[in-house]
Amino acid sequence: MSTDIEARLRDALAARADLVRPEDLEPLAPVVELRPRLSRQSPWVLLATAAVVLLVLGIVFQGVGGRERSDRLAPEPDEKIELQLPTDVGRDWKADDISTPARLDLDGDGTKEKVVFLGEPTKNFDGRTRLQTTLSSTGQEAFGIAELGTTIGTSALPPIDADGDGDQELVLLRDEAYSGPVTGGFPIVFDLRDGLLVEAVPDEPGLLIRGELVEEGSATEYYDKVRVGDFWIEDGTLHSSRSVASYARGAEMRFSPKAYVVDAWTWTLDDNGALRHGETECLVQSYDSTRECGLDPTDTFTYLPPERASYVGLGETVDLTDEAGYGFTARIEADADPSLVVNGFGASIRQPLEVPQPMLGTVQPTSIFFDGASLVITSATDPSVVQVFTQNDDRMVLMDPVGEIDLAADDGQQTWLTDNGAVLSALPADDGAWELWQWVMVSRTEIAALPWATVCIDDVDDPTAITAC
Amino acid sequence: MAEAVDITELYAAHRLSLVRLAILLVDDLASAEDVVQDAFAALTRRPGAIKDPSKALAYLRVSVVNASRSALRRRRTARAYSPPHDTAPPTPEDTAVLAEEHRQVIVALHTLAPRQREVLVLRYWSNLSEAEIAAALQISQGTVKSTASRALVALEKAMTTHMSSGTDGKEQR
Repeated sequence: MSTDIEARLRDALAARADLVRPEDLEPLAPVVELRPRLSRQSPWVLLATAAVVLLVLGIVFQGVGGRERSDRLAPEPDEKIELQLPTDVGRDWKADDISTPARLDLDGDGTKEKVVFLGEPTKNFDGRTRLQTTLSSTGQEAFGIAELGTTIGTSALPPIDADGDGDQELVLLRDEAYSGPVTGGFPIVFDLRDGLLVEAVPDEPGLLIRGELVEEGSATEYYDKVRVGDFWIEDGTLHSSRSVASYARGAEMRFSPKAYVVDAWTWTLDDNGALRHGETECLVQSYDSTRECGLDPTDTFTYLPPERASYVGLGETVDLTDEAGYGFTARIEADADPSLVVNGFGASIRQPLEVPQPMLGTVQPTSIFFDGASLVITSATDPSVVQVFTQNDDRMVLMDPVGEIDLAADDGQQTWLTDNGAVLSALPADDGAWELWQWVMVSRTEIAALPWATVCIDDVDDPTAITAC
Repeated sequence: MAEAVDITELYAAHRLSLVRLAILLVDDLASAEDVVQDAFAALTRRPGAIKDPSKALAYLRVSVVNASRSALRRRRTARAYSPPHDTAPPTPEDTAVLAEEHRQVIVALHTLAPRQREVLVLRYWSNLSEAEIAAALQISQGTVKSTASRALVALEKAMTTHMSSGTDGKEQR
């Protein structure tokens, strides 16, 4: 340690501090002019006597006391947490070929350490991982033990400095099946403490989970409701979020809006090794962006149902083959009773229809079934009729609607096929709003509707004219 | 009322020194004054927080350090941060220019991690002992020692980098 730098620092600090003179300080303002923040423009003079100062101070303090952020000023009592020190095992474990060593400055000396990941050999590659490095500042070995769910292909997430002490903490991903379509897991933070890489203990681990978190009590026979959790690292800081609303999940799909409102937290590491989340912030997240909430944050249904698909009648053919010839054709024929005739996927099928003056949808309902032919039938004389057929080898199966709502478009309910292959139902709700549902296949012979959103429909006769309420 | 009188006396006696401490941590006068104001406000809301009057200054110092850290964190995390007082007319303090040799040190100081900066300021400006710094920052004495050591190395490195680059951004005031 250089004494010269200490002397220079001491002199510079004194010089910088001395630039602030008593006359530079903001004078105390009269009570009527007090605002949450001291104003640079305040023209008021210093109050002269201690008694007046006392009076003003009392009101100043009372006035600012309601500000939320001041509550963080007072030191909080230490909470007891139990850190688990790593056991010195796995010196003979090996790094696999697809693991990538981490490089980060664990000891804060400005030089990055190389941390290698040695996997515990187990039959299912699900053992522990030894984190091992040599500290550049001391030349001593440091190690930690992690349980990451797998020992295959270990690599680190970007490092963080969660305690602001100038060195970096190692962040690894623990794989967990918290999700369907979303990759799940949560971050594990390792801090260098007394020569060991010690796992930090989150104060609320659930808030760090990335994936779909089932809302308790939401499960129905065909779907449950999930909140969407996520975490990310930005500029050396760990953040996490969870959607405010929950969304239906079923048939390996989740019906969430394109952009949704989340509660978000910034995480810091305290001196006891506890990873603590900060105050809840409001963000709007989509798959490719994050922004701060406005005054009235709501989920954004920018992916609204497109146009209603058209229908054709008797004798007209719907050609649903692609340029490569993959697909099928369909038409309605009538000798005596009308039939649905489907050609494609290696079959020629004739399916009797028990529908007066049937109409055939010109779009395949691929959101229900696409591994073969599928079609929607309605009636020219009875618009409440909606039927869905799916191909099962050499026959077309009339799908049985099950679940909470009917498929039929009656009693105020609207059901329609969209030109991108979804079958939607809208049911009148309170205050002129509508509940929007989407139909999915839940078994080889059954379809069920999953709730999507509450929307407003400007024109009841044209349910595609949907807006967010 | 005795507690209020004590706070008033504390305010009169220590406001300037606490603002000076805060400005070394946040580096602008308006924010430093806000930080100190908040520290006193917190104290009035918790009159029982100080049982021993002789420890009032230490308590306020902790509050100032914590509030400064929060202010910096808010700045860092605010994506479109703009200083809250940027429309103010220049004060005499604003126009006083730091000598070049000191300015280099202060610029380098503000490149350090928050805790490193806090340790250096408390040690080399507040002249606190390692034990007092440990208590103020709620860390161990060992951490104080190692943080200070590493911070000085980092400071020297930052100054060297700064000098060799030949540019420093804006003038320190």
